[in-house]
Amino acid sequence: MDQLLQQLINALSLGGIYAMLALGLAIVFSIIGLINFAHGDIMTFGGYGIFLSMVFGFPPVAALCIGLGAAVVMALAMERTAFRVMRGADVISLLITSFAVSEILKVFFQNGISARPVPISFPAAWSGSYQIGGMTIGVAPTASILVTIISLGCLTFVLRHLAIGMAMRAAAEDFDMLRMLGVRANRVVAAAFAISGLLAGIAAVIWTAQRGSVDPMMGFFPVLKAFIATVLGGLGSLGGAVLGGFVVGTLEVLTQAFLPDALAPYRDAIVLSAVIAVLLVRPDGLLPARTSARS
Amino acid sequence: MKLKSLLLGTAIAAIGTASLAEEYVIGVMSAQSGYLAPYDGPAYAGFKFCMDEKMANGGLNGTTPVKLIVKDTRSDIAFGVQVVQEMLDQGAQFIVSSADADPTIAAAQITAADMVPTMTFAGTAPVLTQVGSHVFGSYPGDNQQGAVLAAYAKDQGFEKAWLLTSPDSAYTLGGPRYFGEVFESLGGAVVGESTFNLNQPDFSAIVTNIQNAETAPDVIVTWAWEPDFPAFIRALRGAGVDTQVMGGDVLDTPTVRGLGDVVDGVVHTSGGYPEDGSKYADFIARFEAATGTTPDNNYYVNGCDIADMIEQAVAAAGTTDPAAVSAAMAEIENGEGTMSNFTFKGTDRMPLRDVVVARITADGGKEFVLRQMADPETLPKP
Repeated sequence: MDQLLQQLINALSLGGIYAMLALGLAIVFSIIGLINFAHGDIMTFGGYGIFLSMVFGFPPVAALCIGLGAAVVMALAMERTAFRVMRGADVISLLITSFAVSEILKVFFQNGISARPVPISFPAAWSGSYQIGGMTIGVAPTASILVTIISLGCLTFVLRHLAIGMAMRAAAEDFDMLRMLGVRANRVVAAAFAISGLLAGIAAVIWTAQRGSVDPMMGFFPVLKAFIATVLGGLGSLGGAVLGGFVVGTLEVLTQAFLPDALAPYRDAIVLSAVIAVLLVRPDGLLPARTSARS
Repeated sequence: MKLKSLLLGTAIAAIGTASLAEEYVIGVMSAQSGYLAPYDGPAYAGFKFCMDEKMANGGLNGTTPVKLIVKDTRSDIAFGVQVVQEMLDQGAQFIVSSADADPTIAAAQITAADMVPTMTFAGTAPVLTQVGSHVFGSYPGDNQQGAVLAAYAKDQGFEKAWLLTSPDSAYTLGGPRYFGEVFESLGGAVVGESTFNLNQPDFSAIVTNIQNAETAPDVIVTWAWEPDFPAFIRALRGAGVDTQVMGGDVLDTPTVRGLGDVVDGVVHTSGGYPEDGSKYADFIARFEAATGTTPDNNYYVNGCDIADMIEQAVAAAGTTDPAAVSAAMAEIENGEGTMSNFTFKGTDRMPLRDVVVARITADGGKEFVLRQMADPETLPKP
């Protein structure tokens, strides 16, 4: 029983990261129809922000804040330089643009910083653990879950109660109508990218705290999983992205924990088969957006 | 006057002959990006440095000038195959392949037709030389490293090992398995095994399984590399598990040593250790002086050793014919290297070399533990 509870905590921790990344993808997609595969590179940039801050002697907490800021700046720069000029283009053109941006950034990371992972050494206490009953729970997964809950709570508040949040939700419903009503499109889209970057930055903070290194491919694999999560949850659906993130994270952890040894190499195949099975039953995702886009 | 003309003519002819001496063409696969770049990059730097030194002295053995063809593979195996074909078309007589088994095996399929010797920069999976008699390793194989590490673990009193493997590569799967085989033959027990995928996002589930294992291990062994190893060790220590961790030579990097407290005491194998006054220490000093870069891992010096291996094989063959060089390489016994000496004779072309065991220290350094050559009689078979 203790083991199952520990694994559920692991699942929540991983699912929370996927949820934040998926939400970042979904926010941008819901407004301008862009599936931003360079989202992972925003996360990586945040990670390098943390690394470089620590190299230059900033204390760990300040380095984390700089990492968050770096991710936001990168997301805004990406929007301004690459995606604004492509606004209104078809989905395929946007997708290819995002792949191109991603590749350019990876090459920049490899040649400008290092092709190999660089270490981030956080204080030992951040790698500690504590006991509850018979369970040993890590500080990092606990912090990850708390940060995820707080982040999602704050985002919900912004989207529901602040003007810019309401504008973003309206844009997700009908972007052209929003513009006709006089709301500045650039401001709404930039805000969406900034929030998306902030979520990627938070994911980078948790990721680097748990993994201890940053490499040019750091963001690629989690964003791939986050993309699966957004499709599972329902493309363009913010709630669906969060739910999808937690479902994918839980499936990954539970298959890792309880699958027999003989089936272990098929872990990813089993997780993806489960996702396909769900989509066969609910092709618009678990919580489809009102103007849903089929996967 | 006639004598002067004759002498002058002879001198010109001699100079002309020297300058026209047939070049030995070596093709080098070197990934400039992707997962192999961190290994191919330093290995190529060390290889080129020593090859340049040889060129300054007249080429291989002072007589055979070398022409290098270097091409980027982008860590893409399919593209790497194309690159090898291009280099063969340009006359390559020797191929130095990327630092992993899979691209080397793929390259060896192309070089097999003309028996062009193909040597990996640092691939250590013994299976890579099974492709053909023209394929060579350069670094101590995983079975040698596993055998030496298992003997050390047993000597330290460890009895119960947990293996962390990944079926995604011959290296991450084979190393711990070789360790386990030798460890069991010495009386130890493998009490569990977990598998992971390369670039796996999260290791907490594996750590929880180890924590709750029926029989708790006293040593965890993995050949996981970056970024998987840092993720694993942080998850392990973060969960309060302080079990001894041991690993392969891929842990011998500044990135792993830079992880801080969580890697304090981790033991790993390595191909060499630059003791004061050693040839390895001298190589570091020369390289640093010439390039301004300090070699911070063994791939540099192993690249240099590959240049020596090629030179000694060409000398032994007495020709640059690819098949003859392959045959001569396979017969080298106690060849002189910088990281350590090497013997191909009697092996399946994965050279028998010293294996070093080192321990990572709290200050981000490493300390020498032992140097030992595996017993070829008891080596696990690939």
